[in-house]
Amino acid sequence: MDPECSQLLPALCAVLADPRQPMVDDTCLEKLLDWFKTITEAGSSLLLLQENPCLVELLCHVLKPQDLSSRVLSFSLRLTGVFAAQEDCFQYLQQGELLPRLFGEAGPLGGAAWTAPTVRSGWIQGLRSLAQHPSALHFLADCGAVDTIFSLQGDSSLFVASAAGQLLVHILSLSMRGPAEGPPSLQADDWPPCAQKIVGHIEESLRSTATPQITQALNVLTTTFSHCHDPWTQVLWVQLHPLVAALLQKDPVPAAHSLVDLLLSVARSPGLSSSSCGLWETLAQTLSHLSPTQAGLLALGILKLQDCPQALRAQAFAVLLQPLACVLQATAQGPGPSGLLDSTAADSVTADMLLPSKAACVGLLCQTLAHLELLLPLPQRPCPWPQAPLLGAAVTLLQLCRGSGSPASDAGRQLCALLLGCVRVQRAALDFLGTLSQETGPPELVTQVFAVLLEYLRSPDSSPTVLKKAFQATFRWLLSSPRTPGCSDLDSHTLLFLRELLPVLQKRLCSPCWEVRDSGLEFLTQMTRRWGGQAGFRHALLASEVPRLTEQLLRDPESYVRASAVTAMGQLSSQGLCVPPAGPEHPGSQQSLLGELLHILSTDSEGFPRRAVMQVFTQWLRDSHADVVGDTEQFVAGVLQVAGQDLDWEVRAQGLELALVFLEQMLGPPRSHCPYAVTPPVAAPAGPLTQALQSLCRVRLFEFAFRALFDCDRPVAQKSCDLLLLLRAKTASSSSLQEPRSSPDVASVEAALQRWRAGDQAQPLGDLEPEVVLAVLRSMDLEGLRGALAESSDHVEKSPQSLLQDMLATVGILGENEADCY
Amino acid sequence: MPEIRVTPLGAGQDVGRSCILVSIAGKNVMLDCGMHMGFSDDRRFPDFSYITRNGRLTDFLDCVIISHFHLDHCGALPYFSEMVGYDGPIYMTHPTQAICPILLEDYRKIAVDKKGEANFFTSQMIKDCMKKVVAVHLHQTVQVDDELEIKAYYAGHVLGAAMFQIKVGSESVVYTGDYNMTPDRHLGAAWIDKCRPNLLITESTYATTIRDSKRCRERDFLKKVHEAVERGGKVLIPVFALGRAQELCILLETFWERMNLKAPIYFSTGLTEKANHYYKLFITWTNQKIRKTFVQRNMFEFKHIKAFDRAFADNPGPMVVFATPGMLHAGQSLQIFRKWAGNEKNMVIMPGYCVQGTVGHKILSGQRKLEMEGRQVLEVKMQVEYMSFSAHADAKGIMQLVGQAEPESVLLVHGEAKKMEFLKQKIEQELRVSCYMPANGETVTLPTSPSIPVGVSLGLLKREMAQGLLPDAKKPRLLHGTLIMKDSALKELGLAEHQLRFTCRVHLHDPRKEQETALRVYSHLKSVLKDHCVQHLPDGSVTVESILIQAAAHSEDPGTKVLLVSWTYQDEELGSYLTSLLKKGLPQASS
Repeated sequence: MDPECSQLLPALCAVLADPRQPMVDDTCLEKLLDWFKTITEAGSSLLLLQENPCLVELLCHVLKPQDLSSRVLSFSLRLTGVFAAQEDCFQYLQQGELLPRLFGEAGPLGGAAWTAPTVRSGWIQGLRSLAQHPSALHFLADCGAVDTIFSLQGDSSLFVASAAGQLLVHILSLSMRGPAEGPPSLQADDWPPCAQKIVGHIEESLRSTATPQITQALNVLTTTFSHCHDPWTQVLWVQLHPLVAALLQKDPVPAAHSLVDLLLSVARSPGLSSSSCGLWETLAQTLSHLSPTQAGLLALGILKLQDCPQALRAQAFAVLLQPLACVLQATAQGPGPSGLLDSTAADSVTADMLLPSKAACVGLLCQTLAHLELLLPLPQRPCPWPQAPLLGAAVTLLQLCRGSGSPASDAGRQLCALLLGCVRVQRAALDFLGTLSQETGPPELVTQVFAVLLEYLRSPDSSPTVLKKAFQATFRWLLSSPRTPGCSDLDSHTLLFLRELLPVLQKRLCSPCWEVRDSGLEFLTQMTRRWGGQAGFRHALLASEVPRLTEQLLRDPESYVRASAVTAMGQLSSQGLCVPPAGPEHPGSQQSLLGELLHILSTDSEGFPRRAVMQVFTQWLRDSHADVVGDTEQFVAGVLQVAGQDLDWEVRAQGLELALVFLEQMLGPPRSHCPYAVTPPVAAPAGPLTQALQSLCRVRLFEFAFRALFDCDRPVAQKSCDLLLLLRAKTASSSSLQEPRSSPDVASVEAALQRWRAGDQAQPLGDLEPEVVLAVLRSMDLEGLRGALAESSDHVEKSPQSLLQDMLATVGILGENEADCY
Repeated sequence: MPEIRVTPLGAGQDVGRSCILVSIAGKNVMLDCGMHMGFSDDRRFPDFSYITRNGRLTDFLDCVIISHFHLDHCGALPYFSEMVGYDGPIYMTHPTQAICPILLEDYRKIAVDKKGEANFFTSQMIKDCMKKVVAVHLHQTVQVDDELEIKAYYAGHVLGAAMFQIKVGSESVVYTGDYNMTPDRHLGAAWIDKCRPNLLITESTYATTIRDSKRCRERDFLKKVHEAVERGGKVLIPVFALGRAQELCILLETFWERMNLKAPIYFSTGLTEKANHYYKLFITWTNQKIRKTFVQRNMFEFKHIKAFDRAFADNPGPMVVFATPGMLHAGQSLQIFRKWAGNEKNMVIMPGYCVQGTVGHKILSGQRKLEMEGRQVLEVKMQVEYMSFSAHADAKGIMQLVGQAEPESVLLVHGEAKKMEFLKQKIEQELRVSCYMPANGETVTLPTSPSIPVGVSLGLLKREMAQGLLPDAKKPRLLHGTLIMKDSALKELGLAEHQLRFTCRVHLHDPRKEQETALRVYSHLKSVLKDHCVQHLPDGSVTVESILIQAAAHSEDPGTKVLLVSWTYQDEELGSYLTSLLKKGLPQASS
C-alpha cells in the first residue's frame, strides 16, 4: 500500500465505523474491497493489518451493538474473509477471537442485521474467501457454520442461496484436499467429518420429497463434478448414484432441469470413468423418463460428449429429432416413413406435447430447432446427418407458419392452426434453415428452400426480425449454391432465383420500416461483396432498380439506413455497379457519388453515416478506386480536412486510418507488425522518400496527425502517435533528410505544438517542409507519449487513492449528489 | 394456487441497473435492462446468469420491456441481446426506440474512449439490438402472444417514458419505470387509469421527499447562469446527449429572449439538431403548451443556441456551453472543464447525479485540488453548482399514482432501502395496501385468485333474463347450472380433477356370507369376461378395469345380498353391461 493511501485509511475506517455517516454509494465499498483483494494477493495480509491497525479496529468496531449500515457490516465480513485467507493472518485474527465473533452465533448471525440479504451474502462471501486452509476447516466445524450454510441454500435471495451452494462445494473440496500428510481415502466412510457431513446432507436432500431441496442437492453436485476432478469425486458418484437414479422413478421427475445439468456434468467430468458407474444406463433412462422439452437439453448434451456409447447417441438423437419427425408425419401427403426416424409411428408423448397447446408446441419446436442448429457445426454431430428430412422439416414448418402448406391429416391441420403466423417459430426455423446451408441437399429440396425464402421475403406479413433472418438465410444458401462448372459464376438456377429476388429486394428497400430497409441494404452489400465481379450477378443487378434505390437511400431520414446505404454504394461503386443517374445535372455518377459522400461527411448530423463514409473512402484508397487514383492527393487532402473538423472522435480516428493507408502507399508498408521489433535498417532511397514526404505535406497529413496527437479523445491521440512513430521509423535511415533542429521553422512548429498540447489549437501550422517535419518528429518524445496514452483516461480518478479521497470527501454532504437516474 | 413472482436483478433497494423479472401466469417478462455506471467491469450489468440457468433465454423469457431511454433502464440491452444471447421481442415506445441508440452510442463511445473497458458492445450490436425492438403506441394493447398482452401509459419523466401494464388473463402487473406526477416545461404528468392491477411495481427514488417547486429550482438556475455571464464568466453544463439537456435549453432560450442577452450559448455535437428532430417527430409526447405553440413556433428551434466548435472554448468573453458527457468523465465536457476550472469567474453546473470515479463526483463532493495525469494538480477555482433536474415523482406523487391505479399490492424498486421503508409504511397505513421492497435477488411471491371466463349456454341466460332482472356488472347474481371445467382452468385454480362415478345396487338372492358372494361374483365374471382384467382384492371387493363391486348384507333380508357397483364415466359401457349381467343372477353351478 502506498503511503498516501496508508495515511487516508484511518480516517476512512473511522467514517465506516460511524453509524451516523451513512454510505450511500455502495459501489465504493465494492471497489474498496477489490483494492484490498489486489493488495493481499500481492503481499502479506498480516503485515498489512499490523501496519494499519485501523483495519482491525474497524472489524472490532462493527461488532459493537449499534445501528450500523448493513452494507458496512457486509463489507466488513467480506474484508475479514479476504484477510483470513492467509493462514498466518487467520491465526492472528483468531487470537483476538475476532473470527468467531464475526462469523459465529454471537455475531450478526444471531442479530437483527441478519434479515438483510446483503449481510447474509457478506457472511457467505467472507467464509468463501477465508476457507483456504485446514485451520479454516476446523474453524468452520467449531462455529457450526456448515449447518447455517445448509439452511442458507434455501434463502429467499437467489444470490445468497446460490452462493451458499457454491460455498458448500468449496468446503467439500477443501476438506477432501486433506491435511498435508497424504491424499484422502477413497473409502467414503473414512472421509473427513466435514465432508461426511456435507455428503450426508446431500443424501438427505436427495431423499426428500420437497423439490426445492432436491434441486439444491443436485445443483451442489453439479458444481462439484464440474469443478473437481479428483478421484474422490468418483467415489462420491458411486455412493450417490442410486439416489439420483431413484429420482427417475418419481412421476413427474422432480427438478428435471437440475438433474439434466448434473448428469451432463458427471458425463463430462474427466475424473469419472462413466462406464463403471452406470452413468450411461442412467442417461438412457433419463432420456426416456423426461418430457420431450426436458429431454431435449439432455439429448443435446449427450450428443456433444466426446465418447459415449453409440446406442445412447442414437437414442439422444432420436429424442432431438422426434418433434420434427412428428411435424413431418402430421403433414405427410401419403403414408410411409417421414425419413427422419426409422420408426414410422411418431412418439405419442411428443405428439401429445405438440398438439394440444400452442405454448407447448411453439416452445418445443423452437427448442428443438435451436438444439439442432447448435449440433450441426460440431465435429461430433451424428453421422449420417439426415440433411434431406431436416431440410424438409424446416421448409414444412415455415410453410405451416405462413399457412401455405396444406396438410391432409387432422394432426397436420391442427398443427397448421397452431403455428399460423407464429413469429417465434418463423425466426427459429429461418435460423435453422440458414445453418443447414452448410450441407447440400437434393436439388428439388433446395428449390423448395429458395421458394420458401422468397415467399417470406415477399410476404407483407413478415415482421422486420423475420425478414432480417430470411435475408441472412438467403445469403447463406446463395453462398452454398452450386457454381457453374469451370468458373466461379453462379449456376443458372441460382441466377434465375436472383432475378426473382431482386424485385423483392427492391420492394423492401422502399419499406416504411427502417429496420427492413437497413436489412435489405446489408444483404445487398454482402451479395455485392461476394459476387460483384461475376457477370451473371452484375447483369441481373444492373437490370434492376436496386442500385438507383440504394443511391436514393443515401438521403434516408434514418441515420442507420443512410450509413448502410453509404456502405452499399461504396461497394457497388468499387465493383463498377453504380448506375449513372438520369438527367443532365449529373455528368458522371462516380464523380457525383464521391461528391455526395463528401457532402455526407461534412454535413450529416449523425455519426454513423459519416463513419461509414470514412470506411468507404479508406477502402477506396486501399483498392485504388478509379476516382481516387485520378488525383489521390486532392482526395486525401479533402477527406482529411473534413474529418479533422469532425466532432465525432471515431470519424477523426478513421481519418488517421486513411492517413495511414496513404502513408503506406507513399512509403511502403510497415516492415513488422510489432513497432518494437528489431529490424535491420534498410536505407530508403532519398529521392522517392523526399517526394513522398512532400506529397504528405501537400495533403496536410502532418497537421492532421499533430492535431490528433493532442486530441481530447484518447484513441485518436493513440492512433496518431502510432502513425507518427511509424513515419519516424520509415525516415530514420534516410541521411539526406537530416537537418539541424535549430532551424527557425522547426522552433515555430514546436512552439505551435506546445500551444496545441495546452489545448489552444486555433492557430494552423501552415505549409510545412519535409525536413522541418522530420526534425520536429525526432525531437518529440513519442514513445513517452505512447506509454502515457496506453493507460485509461480516467486511471487517476479510478486509482485507490482517489477512491479513498472521494469516500472521505462525501462525508457529511450527502444529498448533494443523490442517485436518481442517468 | 396461481401466483405472481417478482425478482429484481437490479433496482432492488438501489438505483441503477434496473432489471426486474416478473412471472405472471406462467409468462416470464423482464422489465428494463439497465446498467450501473458506477462500475467499469461486468458488475455494471445485471447478473443474467440467474436466468440463463433456466435454459435458453429466448425460450425462458416471453419478452423484454424497456420503460425509457435512460441508461440505468436500457444500458445493458445490447449486451443482453447480442452478447448474452436473448433473441426474443423487446418492447418500448416509439420515442424510446428512436432515442435509445443515441444514448447507448454516446455511452459506448465514452467507454471505448476512456479505454480499458472490456466486454462492451459495439455500434453494430446496438443497431442489431434496436432492430429487434417492437415499438408501441400509448394506450395500444399489444398482444405479445395469445395470452400475454401489454399496454403503455404516459409517464412524463423524459420524452417517450412509459409505464407498462402486463396482463395475462385476469392477472396483471403495472410497472412504472421512472415517472413524474407534475408536468414540466416540455412534458406532461404521468397518468394511468383505474386498472386495478394485482401488483403495482413503482419507482421510489424520492420516496421520502416532498420536492420543492421546480419553478424555484429553475429560477435559481437562471439566476446563477445570469450572474456568471454578467460578470464575464463562462458557464459549463455537462449533460448526456438527450433528456434534461433539452429542458434546460428551452429554459435558457426563453430567458435569453426575455432578457435580451447576447452571450452565446453552445450545444455540442449536433445534438440540437437531433433533439429538434425527435421532439418534432414525437410532438404528441410533449405537454400541451408545447403542442399548442408548435403551430406558430417550434420550441426546439433555438434562436440563441448554436452548435459548438472545439475552438470556441478559447474565445474571450462570457458564454454558456452544454457539453457531453454528463459526469465529466471523458471527452469534450472534461476538456472544457480543464480549460475553465482555474478561473473563479467561471461556473460549472452539474444538473444530475455523478458516480464515484468521475471528476463530476469529485467536484460535487467539494474537492478543489484535482490530481490530473502525470501528477499535475488542477486547482478548481470556478464556481461549482449542483442542481438536480431529474423528474421523478416524490412521496406525494407516488401515493397519488397508487391511488389512481388502485392495485391490490405495491412493490417498491429504484430507491434506497431506508426511504423505501418509510414509503412502505405510509402506503400500508394510509392506503391499506400491502407493500413489498425486495432486495436484488429476493423473490416476492403473491398468490392471486384468477377470474376464469365461463361459457354459459344461451338457454340458461334466457331463463335468467326471463326472471326480469337486467344484468348489472356491479351486482353479482347467482346462476344455477352445471360447471364443467377443463384442464387449464383446473391448473389455474390449483384444483384436482373431480372423479365422477356412477353407482348402482344389484340385489342377489344368496344366503351365503358376503365374502363368499363376492368370491362367486369374481369366479363368474372371470369366466365371462375373458378379455378384461378381473381382480379379487384382499378387502373382498372385486374390480373389473375401473369398476368396483362390493357385496354387502341386506339390512332387512338375510337371504339377500346387495352388490354395490360403481364405475367411472369413461367405463360407462362396461359398467352398464356388468350390472345387467349381475342382475341376471349368478350361475347355480358355481355354488
